[in-house]
Amino acid sequence: MARARKVFFRRRKVCKFCADKIDYIDYKDVKLLQQFIPERSKILPRRISGTCARHQRPLQQAIKRARHLALIPFTTD
Amino acid sequence: MRTYELMFVVDPRVADEDVVTMTNDYKNMITTAGSQITSEENWGRRKLAFPIEKLNEGKYVLLYVSSETGTTALPAVEHRMRQNDKILRYLTVRTDEDLKRAARKHPVTPGTASQSGAGEERDADAGSDIESEEGEA
Repeated sequence: MARARKVFFRRRKVCKFCADKIDYIDYKDVKLLQQFIPERSKILPRRISGTCARHQRPLQQAIKRARHLALIPFTTD
Repeated sequence: MRTYELMFVVDPRVADEDVVTMTNDYKNMITTAGSQITSEENWGRRKLAFPIEKLNEGKYVLLYVSSETGTTALPAVEHRMRQNDKILRYLTVRTDEDLKRAARKHPVTPGTASQSGAGEERDADAGSDIESEEGEA
């Protein structure tokens, strides 16, 4: 049974920033950042988005900067 | 050389002309201190993601500053913005280090084309693996 489960195919996640070769994550790029803030406006965790640690850090920083300027929300109510 | 971005959000009830005079004020402070304004963007009226001081919109202005010496009037400008209650938000970011790092990582060279080709090969291999797994099942 355990073997049968293993066969289940999961798509391999790839870091979007590595794939698209985006090295400078701009806090002004709302469209890009919005892909990483789901419904509740929380920052999408790495384990879900597949972003690598090297890019998650500047992404997190960019999202926080954008929030400060009210470009993207902190929460949705 | 250091480069900075200075973005601020102005109360939407302030007239466009007054926003311009305000920005000119700040620009003068920066240039008299020996830095340059490399470019400027006026985003105009934009909806805020959440209300600030019960306002739902704001006027966004963005200044790009570069300084040869590394000393700028930016702390003084920030101080002025803090005291001005027509400024809802401001943010200064130093950008030269991050931009330089980004440029070093992916310099525009013709060699990058061959790298992407290698990546495609790896993808093809992964595809065949899946097929064999399905065969086992």
